[in-house]
Amino acid sequence: MADAFGGAESGTQLLARLEGRSSLKNLEPCLFAEEGSPVHGDVIEFHGPEGTGKTEMLYHLIARCIIPKAEGGLEVEVMFVDTDYHFDMLRLVTILENRLAQGTEEMIKQCLGRLFLVSCSSSTQLLLTLYSLENLFCAHPSLCVLLLDSLSAFYWIDRSNGGESLTLQEMNLKKCANFLEKLVTQHHLILFATTQTLMQKSANSAESFLPLKLPHETDTDYRPYLCKSWQQMVTHRMFFSKQCNSANSKAFTVVSCHRKRNQIVKRSFSVAECGVQF
Amino acid sequence: MGEPGREKERPGPSAGAGSRKERAGCGEPGRSLLFPLPVAMVVLRAGLCPGLSEDMIQLLSANGIRTVVDFVSSDLEDVAQKCSLSYKTSLCPQALVAVRRVLLAQFSAFPANGADLYEELKSSTAILPTGSPSLDQLLDSGLYTGEVTELMGAPGTGKTQVCLGIAASVSLGLKQHVLFLDSTGGFTASRLYQMLRAQTEDEEEQLEALQRVRVERVFNIYEVLRALQELRDRLSQQVVSSMGPLKVVVLDSVSAVIYPLLGGRQSEGLALMMQLSRELKTLAREFSLAVVVTNQVTRDSSTGTLKPALGRSWSFVPSTRVLLESKEATWGKCSTQRAASLAKSPRQPTGIQVELDIGNGDVLDPSLVTPTQGL
Repeated sequence: MADAFGGAESGTQLLARLEGRSSLKNLEPCLFAEEGSPVHGDVIEFHGPEGTGKTEMLYHLIARCIIPKAEGGLEVEVMFVDTDYHFDMLRLVTILENRLAQGTEEMIKQCLGRLFLVSCSSSTQLLLTLYSLENLFCAHPSLCVLLLDSLSAFYWIDRSNGGESLTLQEMNLKKCANFLEKLVTQHHLILFATTQTLMQKSANSAESFLPLKLPHETDTDYRPYLCKSWQQMVTHRMFFSKQCNSANSKAFTVVSCHRKRNQIVKRSFSVAECGVQF
Repeated sequence: MGEPGREKERPGPSAGAGSRKERAGCGEPGRSLLFPLPVAMVVLRAGLCPGLSEDMIQLLSANGIRTVVDFVSSDLEDVAQKCSLSYKTSLCPQALVAVRRVLLAQFSAFPANGADLYEELKSSTAILPTGSPSLDQLLDSGLYTGEVTELMGAPGTGKTQVCLGIAASVSLGLKQHVLFLDSTGGFTASRLYQMLRAQTEDEEEQLEALQRVRVERVFNIYEVLRALQELRDRLSQQVVSSMGPLKVVVLDSVSAVIYPLLGGRQSEGLALMMQLSRELKTLAREFSLAVVVTNQVTRDSSTGTLKPALGRSWSFVPSTRVLLESKEATWGKCSTQRAASLAKSPRQPTGIQVELDIGNGDVLDPSLVTPTQGL
């Protein structure tokens, strides 16, 4: 494992780092506009108000990853960082039971063996935990997906602790974002992070000074409030919303956009016993 | 009263809490795999962890490294170069690396494996009946431990009654303890007693059930946080005597203690609210409790639907949300019928609606019946 000095690593470690990560092209084609996504190094943000299916989508992705290849999954390991204590293991098990051909306890435990969970109680602890997870990524070459639910959990607490200075308020999150970027590029991971819509979109005309406001951003309730470091490292931003025509109470929409290529795709999905269904 | 326990001022890991190795896995009964020691973001001091000597602290401090975060995120190669100039062998590069590893192990959260966590949850999660079969049906058999459930409704829709019903059901039926944090003064022991009397004739049982419900009057957020901290301490030390096996914590109502904090431009109020929400959720998870909170409703300006009060940030907190509404009352008769609908759930489709009766049809307090016959 790369030692604390970032010095030389052995040949096997290098191989593990570069080649051990399997392709995740087929993770969920419906979510991405372009073919062959996601690729290693992508950072995908799930943004939306409460009750719009972000966490359900994460369960869907976990199920896709941990189910063995024989049953149609990708058979890779997943790391889930839970900052809100929102993760519902029993719900994940229900989804797995519905998706596996034989939902036996043995099979489920085997799948769950590919999932790692960690809960953080503060942004400082999140930062330190990310540092300590570095070793885990080195040791497990098949661990290539990192899920973070949610990145905005400490927003108000950090803001209050930082006092008047915006730099202090954002410091922890900025460090987390920078370190996440380092982890993702060095270990060839894919990062999915959820952020909550905590604020109303401002009707303030000052917002129009923000450069490159993509058309979809004016439709959705998106008001960026997390630090710039995070906003700049996101490669795909997905906006979740609930369809208001109450004929079908389960219908949700996700608008997926690639930040740099300006490609947008809009999909509907519903949530059933077996999880997300497009 | 004192300040609420802010993250920074929480007591750091005490020596008595045991090393990480002992705690990981099955070391502590009742303590889940996922919960590490609380983090007090600490200034480096001698003895914080093995190997962190006074000399090392001084050297680090001379390089601008004062806290654990600074140490872990700094470039140790740089610091080590300055180390090598020192004649003291305790400050060699290997020592720095070792201390870094120990600090990380001590202060970061430890990842658990999904299969192990599932095993643990299977044995510790319970589903508690609420005392009302239709409400149980709405909640997919009852209140799940490890989660925060929210009851929202306009005043008079029966939120406190439902909470009392839950307290009665859990204390009598399951013989488990309940902690009722009352911030509105709406808790009446006589009403609870009435509910218990309706469920069993045995006076002995009624009295025992009453004793299992502990009520604390809390009138502001600091008192709530203090009560929760005390509960945490009691549960951590597993003091069995006064507080038997606790399964439910009710906070009636959360909006009453949070409303005074919101508004204005400071984010202090919101930070306190989020701190309360974290405390409730960690208590629920760590000690396998069902936490029930009651909340007001407001009307959404754009769509006109009812939504929970306390704003967007709070809306993410509960896992399950039930809306209570009064049904049309017929003239001269005050109805005890309510409609409960599921507004948010991790396992059921939303929108299901059931009917609840919050009154006790059989038992009617004679003093409430006014004589109407003419004299």
